[in-house]
Amino acid sequence: MRAAPRTPLVLAVLLLAYVAVPLAFGGQDYVMSLIIAALTIGGIAVAWALLGNLGGLVSFGHAAFFGVGAYVSALLTLDAGWPVLPAMLAGGLGAAVASVATLPALRLRGPYFALAILAYAHIFKILAVEFESVTGGAGGLLSIPGFPTVLGLELGSKVGAYCLILTIVLAWMAVYAAIRGSTWGLALRAMHDSELATRVVGVPSTHLKALMLLVSAFMTGVIGAFNAHQISFLDPDYAFSGEWTVLPIAAAIFGGYRTVWGPVIGALAVYLVDQLVFKELMPSGHQLIFGLLLGAMILWSPQGLLPLISRLGLRSGEGGDKEGKPGARA
Amino acid sequence: MLALESVSMNFGGVAALSDVTLAVAEGETLGLVGPNGAGKTTLFNLISGVFPPSSGRIAFAGRPLGRAANWKRARQGIGRTFQIPQPLHELTVRENLTVAQRFGAGKRDEARLDEILELLDLADKQHVDAAHGLALTEQKALEVGKALAVEPRLLMLDEVLGGLETSAKRAFGGTLMTVKERFGLTMIVIEHDIETIRTLCPRAVVLNFGRIIADGTPEAVFRDPEVVRSYTGDAAA
Repeated sequence: MRAAPRTPLVLAVLLLAYVAVPLAFGGQDYVMSLIIAALTIGGIAVAWALLGNLGGLVSFGHAAFFGVGAYVSALLTLDAGWPVLPAMLAGGLGAAVASVATLPALRLRGPYFALAILAYAHIFKILAVEFESVTGGAGGLLSIPGFPTVLGLELGSKVGAYCLILTIVLAWMAVYAAIRGSTWGLALRAMHDSELATRVVGVPSTHLKALMLLVSAFMTGVIGAFNAHQISFLDPDYAFSGEWTVLPIAAAIFGGYRTVWGPVIGALAVYLVDQLVFKELMPSGHQLIFGLLLGAMILWSPQGLLPLISRLGLRSGEGGDKEGKPGARA
Repeated sequence: MLALESVSMNFGGVAALSDVTLAVAEGETLGLVGPNGAGKTTLFNLISGVFPPSSGRIAFAGRPLGRAANWKRARQGIGRTFQIPQPLHELTVRENLTVAQRFGAGKRDEARLDEILELLDLADKQHVDAAHGLALTEQKALEVGKALAVEPRLLMLDEVLGGLETSAKRAFGGTLMTVKERFGLTMIVIEHDIETIRTLCPRAVVLNFGRIIADGTPEAVFRDPEVVRSYTGDAAA
């Protein structure tokens, strides 16, 4: 049985995201800030999921790409006078270039790759501290230029920044979906459990994994650059914080990292519920509740929230099909 | 087509292949036989580039393969199957062939994929999950299909008939003959079943403890006392 056409659903979500959310929360800076933060995490989660689902690589070091992208963009605007939006793209490129240094880690598998790339994140943080003349050292960078006004939309406002990060995240989701739907995506998916079998039919698996690492780093770098210009401040502890790795991983796993929407849905659910509900209930240690929820999700539905909703919907509706199976691609 | 010159392969202190010299002519079908552990699959792994030989040279189509990666060798026209079927996970039968064709042959030719699926009796299963929805015979057929989608000049079949019932083995053997003629292949067939080797292969090479101990027609090599000894042991010889 074929899945129902998704175009109306996608259009409804876009309408909701671009129109309804600004109309509903545009006057509430705190809520908009939380949504922006959730989308920031969601954007990294999409990049992380792309590497995990398509490259078959679990990364504990995406904070490295986030931090490099943030620093490159901030420095280009502060020291070289670049406009912010091109500098953000350059931040992504900087992160992609930085990821080249991590390519030797591709020879490692599973947890060994994850730990190696975590070490790279620490190395980049140390470099940011030590190269004080360029990066400002531990004191960081202040007064990073904010977003410009484009086509009458003030991107520096909460609503403008929200529209910008939303657009970036949607673009990354489109990239993820396009790669996954291509022949490359077929080969990448097949590589997880049968890498040798793919290689003997001509698939250059290491090259493809390296490419996914570069793409994922680029995506994360742009998100890092966005964050730097949004908060106008940067220091190594913040830019290379483990939170930029842990929260996106939790979001992607919670939402369903094998789906395109899952990481973003997961980020919105995880961050917004945590900040708006759990934090109110338990101001100190509220993350514990989320930890329990994540544990329950892994036990109950290891594929994440979105496949779970899909399965429940199909069970109460017209019956199952491929989309409802574990590991299904939404 | 294929030339191995003094090829040896050691795993630590174990010599899996010792000083193997072998030539396979274009269009030939060579049977590769020998007891378990004789080095047959190791030979396939060396030719297909799963790992490089400890010493010696391998040339394909007149060019030395050197240390070319296995995916490059597939693109040069070397196709292979695995003794234990290795479908590409998460993909359907047709997607398995699509990946092999796009990457191995570097083109998109749906008509050829249709033909391969028909020849291997997989057309009805083309949209089935390759890793979980196929019977053993179909898994073996998919192994051959993936290798064919690469558009190989040399096809190496590793016990592709192993584990099949006699009637299925006979039918699949016939399919392999058809495939060879249709695509003009050179084939090396690893097989334990002597009757199958007699049927498919005008020439057989016997390996034992990593060395070639006989090379000739199946009738001749299976009468060779050393070959008989390698299968039955000294006492029976």
